[in-house]
This record gives sequence, structure tokens and C-alpha cells, in this order.
Amino acid sequence: MYLQVDRWSDNIAVIDDSGEKYKYGDIVDFSKCFGKWIPERRLIFILCKNCFATIAAHIACIDNHIVPLMISANMDVELLKGLIDLYKPMYIWCPDESKDKLDSVLCNSEDVAGQYGYLLIKLKNDNCDMYEDLAMLLTTSGTTGSPKLIRHSYFNLYSNAENVANVFGFSEQDRALVDLKLHYTMGLNVACSNLYCGATIILTEHNPSEKEWWNIFREYKPTNMCGVPYSYEILKQMRFFRKDHEELKIIAQGGGKLSDELFGIVAEYAVKYGKRFFATFGTSETTARLAYLNPDKALEKIGSIGKAIPCGEMLLVDEFGNYITDAEAEGELVYRGPNVTLGYAHKREDLAKKDERNGEYFTGDIARRDAEGYYYVQGRKGRFLKVYGYRVGLDECETILKNRYESDFACTGTDERLAIYHTNDVEDIEIRKFMSEKTGIQISAFYSERIDFIPRNENGKINYGELLKRKME
Amino acid sequence: MDNLEKYINAFVEAFEADKNSVASFKREDTEQWDSIGHMKLMAALEDKFEIEFEPEEMIEFVSYEQGISILKNKGINL
Repeated sequence: MYLQVDRWSDNIAVIDDSGEKYKYGDIVDFSKCFGKWIPERRLIFILCKNCFATIAAHIACIDNHIVPLMISANMDVELLKGLIDLYKPMYIWCPDESKDKLDSVLCNSEDVAGQYGYLLIKLKNDNCDMYEDLAMLLTTSGTTGSPKLIRHSYFNLYSNAENVANVFGFSEQDRALVDLKLHYTMGLNVACSNLYCGATIILTEHNPSEKEWWNIFREYKPTNMCGVPYSYEILKQMRFFRKDHEELKIIAQGGGKLSDELFGIVAEYAVKYGKRFFATFGTSETTARLAYLNPDKALEKIGSIGKAIPCGEMLLVDEFGNYITDAEAEGELVYRGPNVTLGYAHKREDLAKKDERNGEYFTGDIARRDAEGYYYVQGRKGRFLKVYGYRVGLDECETILKNRYESDFACTGTDERLAIYHTNDVEDIEIRKFMSEKTGIQISAFYSERIDFIPRNENGKINYGELLKRKME
Repeated sequence: MDNLEKYINAFVEAFEADKNSVASFKREDTEQWDSIGHMKLMAALEDKFEIEFEPEEMIEFVSYEQGISILKNKGINL
């Protein structure tokens, strides 16, 4: 079985916000059931929440060779409809409470089964031709409903779960707190790498600014947890690092760069209380993680993403695409390993595509390598931001705005704030509200300004460099 | 600026809300009052009143009204 979950039938696999405890055996039974409901090689959308029904369906899909697209159950309904129309799934697995929302965009569908507060809906779509090794799809920019999906193979999923589990040394005794979302590559990886070891995962929809999160933390006493930079900002504000949390042994970080200050605070906390702090790095295109910093080096190498995970290799290339052999160097970060995904899909027919990367991925991140071979991410070449831990495609944002207001927009900015420049008469506050509603990201993350004209290069492309020089005030 | 004004301003800054609307704010039904908004509000109040909240106080701070009594317990009367 996937992750060999049938090894630990009597261990508790999942605890979620319902307070229920689910055993590994429940996953095994559910998978058998799921396999009877849905034939092999069908496309299904899983509308994810951090609950048992989502992770059980994920495992059941992989186990039964059904191909899931993992997306947020909170996705804006029009963006969701766009994805349904484009990829035409045969099934949707959704929370009971999403049924009404879905009914407004689905025609010709029937409910075929239900369990654990979720419903299986069958749509009148034909089956589509999918590459035999295609195991799972994730979005590149979930909040904007981008049609650009990441194609994962079975080998990607197995190997990253296994290699990451080995890095952290998880065991049956572990309890992992998973508040990162399961449709998000890092959240899914934390869940699966723990399940691979027979540990218990505590799934929650809450975050450390909420009372419920603290109740869960106190009641279940997690032994490991993983956060994105923004989680650490909240933990710091909540004075988490002022005292020991005795049962907690591993704290991990991924999904963007911690400020050096915060990195130092967490690293010092770990040393003081005998915990292991792992700074990690990865992308959705590499099935979550590709590098980690050995906890022993955290204080010495502040801000570093460390070295490649087991079975992987990191390289740097210069602007001409040549590999840089000097020990100390700066260039685009390239990764080779078993967790490099197959490639992207932009439309339904692309699901038949084979492996387009052959185990090598150009990350688009600019990195520096020090004399001892430790890597530091310096910046990014790509057109996306990580705002509050959400990966947001800037081109997709422009498309959403252009469709809504039928005029020209340019989006750029930093991981702190996404900047929207426009030339129309719409109030800036309205534009910001609209984007906040569409993406579900707080309004303060968006900056909007009317400018006389959108600067362009000679070839007509938007000159984002020019816009980045402007101050957001 | 009196204490009440400071208090209201913290809400206005954290949630970019109108100062006349904040008195009815509750975390459960105020859209802007998500985890990000909450952290902004806590930081703004700590800054304005030169105080430091205990973790318990921050998680109990779930409405405009509730916040007034939490501040009162810290010796700040609005």
C-alpha cells in the first residue's frame, strides 16, 4: 500500500478538529472502499480541508491509481468552475457543506457515495487519457485558481516522503502537528512523511493565533511541527519561544525565507531547550523539499537552506546555462533528484504528457554557495510571490484583474506586499478588496496605485523593473 | 490622544476599517480579522499602550468589547 500504511493497523494515524482518532486500519479500509467506488485512472478533484476525509482520500487515490487534483475547499467558486470546465474531472470529493456551492456550478452530476463528512460526486465527463505514471496534481498558485498544474509521478511521492522522513528521523512514537494545508505541497509532505513512519498526524484548520490551536497543542503535545515564515511570525508574537514545550523535539521551516532575525530566534530557542531546528527548502515542482540545513549548523549558518536531501544533488548554473564548478559561487539553483516532478499541465490533454524534466529542475531561484558547500537563497527569477506563505502567480493576478475591469494591469511587488498598477478610474481600495476576496488573502497584502501609463520595453513587454523602483505608499 | 481613541485607532490600522464601524467587531464574523489581522492588532495595541500581552490574553482577545476588559485588567482604562 502507499506509504505502507498497512504496517501499523492499530496505531493512531490521524486526529482532526472533530476530536476523532482514526487508526491506520481505518485508512486501509477506506482505501478498499474508495477503490470500489471509482475505477482506476480516473481524474478526481479533492476539495481539501485539514481533516481525515482529505488525507484518507489522498492515500486511497494513490493506492488505487486514481489521479487527484488537490485544491482548497475554500477556493472561490468561479475559479473552481474554471478548473472544472478546463480539466473536466469525472469525480469530485468534497465536504458536505460545499455541496450547495458546487451545485451552483455543476450541471448533470449525481452523488454516488459519502463518508467522514465528505461526499463523492460523479460528473458526466468522459475519461481522459493520462500518462500511466501520473499520480497526483497540485496547483502552482492555488489562491488565483491558476490552470497551471504540477504533474507528480508515483516515484516522486514515495521518494520524497521516504527521504524527508529519513532526514527528520520520524518514528512510530511521533505526533506531528499539521496546520499547513494539505493541498499545499509542504503540508502534504509533512503529513505523508510522518504517516510513512507510523506516526500520528494532528490535522487542524486552526493557526497559532487562535485559542483552538493552543488547546490542540496542549492536549496532544506534538513532537514535531513545521511552519512557513508567517507561522513563525505568529509564534513569535504569541511568545511561543519564551518557554520550553517539553514534548516538542523537532521544529521545521519551509515555504519561503525566514528573516535572519527570526531564523536566529528559532535557532537559539532550539539550542537552549535541546530541540532540533530544521530550515528546509523546496518547491512544488520538487515534491515539497529538496534541501535542509543540519540542525547542528543552524546557529553557524543563519539563513542557509543547507545541502541537498538524501538521493538529491544541488548545482548552480550561470546566466548562459553553464554549470559553475567553483566552490564559492552564485547562480541559478538547479536540483537533481527522484522528487523532481514530471512537468506542468496547462490543459486536459497535457495529462497524457510524459516526463519532461528527467530528474532535473531549474528552480528560478538565485542562490549562493559558500566555501563549505552550504546554499543560501538570494532572490527569485520567476513571476510569483510568496505572500504570507501563499504562492501567488503574478501573471494570474493580472489576468483576474483584466477580466474583471477590462483594462490594463501590471502586478509585481515583494513577499511582503503584492503591488497592482493600473490606469483606470476604479478606486484603489475597491481593487484591493476584489483581489482579497478572490484570493482569500488579507487586504493589507495588496497595494494598488493608479499610474499615468504602464511602462513597457521596446518589445512591448511590461517593464517590471521600473515598477519595482516605485515606493508603495 | 485619549485611551479610547488610541484603542479605536489600533483597530482602524489593523483592519483598514472605518473608525465608526469597529465597535461591533468580533473575530468570528469580521472578515479582516483573520490571523494576519489579529497579529497586526496585537502589535498595534502593544505599541500604542507600551504593554506586552500574555499569550492567554492574545487568544482570549476575540472582540472589541472583550479587548476593553483585557486592557482594563492590565490597568488601562478606556
